[in-house]
Amino acid sequence: MVKTSKAFPGIEWVEISDYFIKIKEDQCTGCGQCINVCLGGCFVISDKKAKISSLEYCMECSACWYVCERNAIEFNWPKGGEGFKSEWG
Amino acid sequence: MPDSYDVIVIGAGFAGPVAAKLCADAGLKTLILERSENIGDKIVSGLTIPFYGFLFGPNFIRDGNPPFERPADGIINYIIKDIDKGDIEVDDTLKIPKPFSPIIAFGYNAYCKPFCQWEVKKALEAGVELRTSTTVIDIIKEEEKIVGLITDKDEKIKSKVIIDAEGSQGILAVKVGIRKKYPPEAISLADVYDYEMPKDKIDEVFGHSVKMCWGWDEQKIAPPLGHGNGLMVWPYRNSLHFMQDQSLRLDGKKVPNLRRKFDMYHENITKKLPWWKEKVDPHIKTRARLWQGFEIYVGLDRKLRNMANYTDGMILIGNAAGLESTELCDGVPAAWISAEIAAEVVIDAIKGKNYTKEFLKRYDERIKAHPLIKWSISGTNRYNLRFAQEKHDFKLLKKYIHDGWGLGTLTHVTTPLIQTGVSIISKDRTVLSKWIKMYFRYYQNWFYENFDYSKKSLYQGKLTKKLRFYQFLFKASLFSLDSVIEFSFKLRKIYKWLLIPCINSLNKALKIIFPLFELFYSLTLRISKSWADKYNNKLIKFVELSNPSLYN
Repeated sequence: MVKTSKAFPGIEWVEISDYFIKIKEDQCTGCGQCINVCLGGCFVISDKKAKISSLEYCMECSACWYVCERNAIEFNWPKGGEGFKSEWG
Repeated sequence: MPDSYDVIVIGAGFAGPVAAKLCADAGLKTLILERSENIGDKIVSGLTIPFYGFLFGPNFIRDGNPPFERPADGIINYIIKDIDKGDIEVDDTLKIPKPFSPIIAFGYNAYCKPFCQWEVKKALEAGVELRTSTTVIDIIKEEEKIVGLITDKDEKIKSKVIIDAEGSQGILAVKVGIRKKYPPEAISLADVYDYEMPKDKIDEVFGHSVKMCWGWDEQKIAPPLGHGNGLMVWPYRNSLHFMQDQSLRLDGKKVPNLRRKFDMYHENITKKLPWWKEKVDPHIKTRARLWQGFEIYVGLDRKLRNMANYTDGMILIGNAAGLESTELCDGVPAAWISAEIAAEVVIDAIKGKNYTKEFLKRYDERIKAHPLIKWSISGTNRYNLRFAQEKHDFKLLKKYIHDGWGLGTLTHVTTPLIQTGVSIISKDRTVLSKWIKMYFRYYQNWFYENFDYSKKSLYQGKLTKKLRFYQFLFKASLFSLDSVIEFSFKLRKIYKWLLIPCINSLNKALKIIFPLFELFYSLTLRISKSWADKYNNKLIKFVELSNPSLYN
C-alpha cells in the first residue's frame, strides 16, 4: 500500500513491514530532541519516554539517530523497496 | 554455495555506479545493491554539480551526455541587513562573465534521480549487475576479515571487496566499526521544496544563476549564520529547488525545534523577500517537499576528517566517507573522484589478491591528499559566518560571503583547481580539447532538451558558408591547442622547476594582489561589456546551429 500526505506533496510512502527505527526505552531520558528534529513528526513523548507514533511520514534522514545523546535510537534502513520515494530529489 | 563477486557496491547514488562501472570496465565481476525500488527514489538534494566534477571526474561523464536541467553560470548572493525595510546588498561577483556564460558553465543543475539512473545505465552497459529493492543488513566476516554481506532477503553474497556508497549516514560503516557516527554539529538537515515554474519566467528571473540569501539570525528569515545555508534557489528547466538547511545541533547547545524553525524561515522569507514575492511567487506551484541530512562540517574537524575510510575488504566512498563540500554543500565531484580512486585501488587489490586494510589504506591516503577534495571539505567561510553574527559586523559578513560565494573564492580554489588540472593534462595531453567539447556538447544538450533536435526548427542540418567557416575555425583551434600542449611537453623539465612552485603559491599570490586583481577584473568587465554581449550572442548562435558531431 502506498500513502501520500498533503503536508508533504510529491512523496509516496510504501508501507513498511517492520519498524526500522527502534527506541531502547531503558536508555531514553525523554529529552525530546528526536521530536525537535523530526520534520515528519514520527515521535511523541509518553510516560517521559520517546515513542514512535508512526513512521508513515519518515524521510529516513536519521536526524533522530544523530541527535540522541544516549544512543537510545537504533536506526536501520527500511527493507528493500519500502519507505519513502520521490521523483523530485 | 552463496553468490560470489569480485566487487559489491552498496548504493546507486552519484558515487556507487561510477566505482562499479570502472571495476566492470577492468573485467571485474561487479554487483550494485540498491535499497530503493527504482534508482533515485530516495535521493534528496538541490543541486548544482560544479564544473570541476565534470572536468576532473570520470571520463565517461565528461565525454557523455548526462541529463541535467540547466547550466549554471554562477551565484547571486543577497545579503539581507533588514528585510522589512528592504535593505539588501547584492554580491554577484562569482559569475562566469560573458561572452563565455552560459556555455562555459560554472556547473550544471540537475535532478538527482535521472542523473543517477543515467550513471547506472552506463554501469550496466559495462557489465555491472544490479539488484534493486535490496537492503544490506550486515556483513559476513571470516577470520576478522570482511568477505561478504547479508541482505534483507537473507541472501549471503560473497565479495572480495565491498565498496560502501550508502550516503552520509554510513549505517553499515558504523555498524562494522570502520568509522564512528558523525556528531549532530557536523550534519546539516536540508529542507527542500520543489516548485514548478514556466521556463520563460525562470529565464527572466534567474537566467542561469543560483540565488543565495543570507541574513542576521534575528531577522528569522534563514538558519543561523555559520550553521547551515541561508536560502538557496536553483533554477531548473521548468522548475525550482528551494533549500534551507541547518546543523542539527549548534555548538553543543540544546537541539532546536527544526520543524518549527524551518516553517518559520520559509514563511518569512517567501513573504518578505521582494524578488520572491513579486517575481517568483505568482508563477510557482509546489510540487514536492523533502528533507535529508548532509555531513557538511565533517572536514573541518581534524578527528572526524582523519577517521579511516577502509578496513579489511571494505572501503567507503562519497558522502559515506564524509566528503560533502563545506562551502558549496555539494558532494558530487568528491563522490566521483573518490569513486574513481576507489576503483583503481580495488582493481589493483584484486589483481594482487590483497584485500587487507594495509593495502586498501592507499585509497584513504589518496583521497585525503587530493587537492580538490582537501579544499572542498575544509573551506571555513561558511563556518566563519557565525563570527560575523557574534560581532554583528556587516562588513565581516560581506567579506566571508565574498570569499566563499563571491570572487574571493579564487584566493583559495585556484591552486587546487590548477594542480588537479595539470595532473590530468600530464596523463592525457588532448584533455583540453575534450573539456571544451564537453562544454559545447552540454550546451547543445540543454538547448535541444536532451538532444531532441527534431522538436526545434532552428537546427536544420544545413550549413551556410559562414557556419562552415566557423566550424573549421573551431576544429583548427582545438587542434592548435592540443599541439601547443604536446609541444610544451618537451619542456616539462622547466615546468617542474618553474611552474609547479608557481601553481602551489598561486592562492597566496592572489591573496596579496587580490584588491588590485578585483579592480582590474571589474574594470575589464565594464569596458568589454558591449563587445562581450555581441560575441556572447554569436557564440550561442554558433553552438545552436553547428553540427553536433563537432563536439563528440
